[in-house]
Amino acid sequence: MSATLRAEPILEPALDVELDRVWRGRSGFIGWLCSTDHKSIAKRYIATALVFFLLAGLEAATMRAQLSRPENGVLGPDTYNQFFTMHGTTMMFLFAVPVMIGVGLYLTPLLVGTRNVAFPRANAMGYWVYLIGGILIYSGFFVNSGPDAGWFAYVPLSGPEFSPGKRVDIWAQMITFTEIAALIAAVVIITTAFKMRAPGMSLNRIPVMVWSSVVMSFMIIFAMPAVATASLFLAMDRLISTHFFNPAEGGDALLWQHLFWFFGHPEVYIMFLPGTGIISALLPSFTRRKVFGYPALVLSIIATGFIAFALWVHHMFATPLPQLGQSFFTAASALVAIPNGVQIFCWIATIWTGRPIFRTPLLFTIGSIIIFVIGGMTGVMIASIPFDLQVHDTYFIVAHFHYVILGGVVFPLFAGIYYWFPKVTGRMLSETAGKWNFWLMFIGVHTTFFPMHQLGMEGMPRRVYTYLEGTGWGDLNAVASLGALIIFSSVVVFLGNVVWSLRHGAIAGSNPWDSEGLEWATTSPPPSYNFANVPVVGGRAPLWESGDELPVMTGLARDRQQVLVTTALDAEPDSRHDHPGHTIWPFIVAVTIGIFFITLIFTPWGMPIGTVLGFAAYARYIWPKKNHDPSIVELPRSVPQSEVPR
Amino acid sequence: MRRERIVADVSRLPNVVYGSRNLVSWGTTGFMIIEGFSLALCAVTYVYLRKNTIEWPPHGTQLPQLLMPTIALAVMVLSLPLAWWTKRRSERMELGATRIGLVLSSIVAVVVFGLRLGEFASLHTLWNSSAYGSIAWTILGFHATLILIDMYDTIGITLIMFLHPESKWFPEVADNAIYWMFTVLSWVPLYFLVYFGPRWI
Repeated sequence: MSATLRAEPILEPALDVELDRVWRGRSGFIGWLCSTDHKSIAKRYIATALVFFLLAGLEAATMRAQLSRPENGVLGPDTYNQFFTMHGTTMMFLFAVPVMIGVGLYLTPLLVGTRNVAFPRANAMGYWVYLIGGILIYSGFFVNSGPDAGWFAYVPLSGPEFSPGKRVDIWAQMITFTEIAALIAAVVIITTAFKMRAPGMSLNRIPVMVWSSVVMSFMIIFAMPAVATASLFLAMDRLISTHFFNPAEGGDALLWQHLFWFFGHPEVYIMFLPGTGIISALLPSFTRRKVFGYPALVLSIIATGFIAFALWVHHMFATPLPQLGQSFFTAASALVAIPNGVQIFCWIATIWTGRPIFRTPLLFTIGSIIIFVIGGMTGVMIASIPFDLQVHDTYFIVAHFHYVILGGVVFPLFAGIYYWFPKVTGRMLSETAGKWNFWLMFIGVHTTFFPMHQLGMEGMPRRVYTYLEGTGWGDLNAVASLGALIIFSSVVVFLGNVVWSLRHGAIAGSNPWDSEGLEWATTSPPPSYNFANVPVVGGRAPLWESGDELPVMTGLARDRQQVLVTTALDAEPDSRHDHPGHTIWPFIVAVTIGIFFITLIFTPWGMPIGTVLGFAAYARYIWPKKNHDPSIVELPRSVPQSEVPR
Repeated sequence: MRRERIVADVSRLPNVVYGSRNLVSWGTTGFMIIEGFSLALCAVTYVYLRKNTIEWPPHGTQLPQLLMPTIALAVMVLSLPLAWWTKRRSERMELGATRIGLVLSSIVAVVVFGLRLGEFASLHTLWNSSAYGSIAWTILGFHATLILIDMYDTIGITLIMFLHPESKWFPEVADNAIYWMFTVLSWVPLYFLVYFGPRWI
């Protein structure tokens, strides 16, 4: 493989046109249903998740309206129960995880320099399954059958005795849908990151953003089965009278809490780690230096991923568990502050030693650090069992986890949106509106959630639809509700900014921030095939290190969707892999999965009906199409051993 | 857009590779980990529920019968060499031998699935009798789902290798064989848990 130097750009029009014809797919509604392009699927994930974010935000605003003064009458107790359950469920299962999955699915192939994700059909199917789950639970909510047992659906409250009807069944099946989607996305991201990286992108050159998506994906693989198993047990207890959580027949209510929180605590880091990846990805552009402490950042992300699985019992300190065990979880809960602290110090060092440019992404980054650190410090406080027992199930906990999630997920996400919006759409978001967006949100978050610390210390419990005047909680609640209004106005500014900028925003160009990552080596928005030729990487900041010329490899097929597969450790070119192209069958298989699980809510016949439909659709999904690769059409009875790949 | 400098050509790289070099194997491995971990959680649940009960199985419930489950396990374990052989033949791209291996594997999968359906009666309890019955049925049923999926996949790839034989399917055959080995090997500890757990723990 000798190197040749070409003076002119090698992106001949013919190559451009040919690749676009192969990768773009059909237009129109059917073409939209058929798309397996990671960018299309990821944009759908992000857009759908943001719609759910708005819905959950409206639910929160309505709850704040109800709590803004004592004995208010905006929501009744039953409706309030549905609202807080839907708010938590939506934010956790339908917004935070899917939006980070969407970000990972959009960026991973671009950051590693490939044309699509691994398993593009499965990836498309995952999105449709997620969408069906979201539609299912909101359909129930809109007909007064929204779940009402809290986002973690503790038994026995959520069991058949105390929650008759279909509300919890709908919740449990929605969990199943989102788990399937997340697990598919996890396998897709891991395989893409380990096997489809640009040549030269060895493990120690993988962008931190990709590392964070990879660790998130591994965490999904080990966390989601726990909640899938738990929700399966719950659904069976409710629908076919099993006894997993029924103490009268040998079951155990605490089993639910163990299984749920074995998932639930890592879930926090599943949402948060991609946020840290976003910050590490954008900081170099706004400090004009490489991120400080790459090895420490990556190791911290990995360490957080491991420690996250040793924390679940700190959600159960108020249950009668052995003290020694509880002490272990106190220690582990404090321990996780160390790798997170390392990341924060690396970011501060990057900003401190760089030349910060205070554009909107950096503002959201700094806001994220401040808010997350406050949430982290209250986290260390409630890692202590005596303190936790005092504030358990009070508004102190509500304040704590909102600081963590807003600081760790929402602010980095907004930073990321402002940073990559030009890449995705080709246009810049307005800086002026962005700064309004940031300051309103930053002020709104503190106004809403800081008073809740005090409310919790004063003993205000979570999940009460009202309180009496004599409690003295009215003023702080009024302040919190005012803060919610400020956050709401911030989101309105953001939406206005997006709508305006999509039409009138400044044209971005391929690399408007003069950034270092491979995603900026292609046009904005990227073409359907991402990269005409495979980029070659020589360091951690490819665009800053390659000068005016980007080294590339050629030779991938032009007449079909083909990607380069590289070795897992050193990313050396290893093989070529054909993708099946755009197809409607992932959508149809997802619909059969929907029929399977939704019918099961009402009748056990859902199982055989769904199985037959699913298998029939899947048969068509996997059945081979006519092959376009001349080298693999001919198949002799036995291939000469000299030609067998090793 | 930057100018590009060609440093290599990849057009002669192979497009049929096996094992960890093959993208599909990564997907299969991912789902084996997910399913294996889910089965492990079911096993943990079994042990967790056991601690709640003085008598296991609960009073009035017979111990599970061993004959049918042991026959099923024996058939599964004895099918491992066949899966290995089929994998090796597919890695050598021997179409005739691979087809023979796939047909036999399909038959084995159907037989094992049939035996599994018969196994439920050996538990001597129902899913709604007690927590013991619930978890025993769930473990059996969950693993039966894996057998069903593998049976479906094996028959599918067999049909493909007869009707659309192409070299790119050989790695899929090898993957399918590995998945069967996973299905069998994951059952061995669960077999002891479900059938000897009530006797030993």
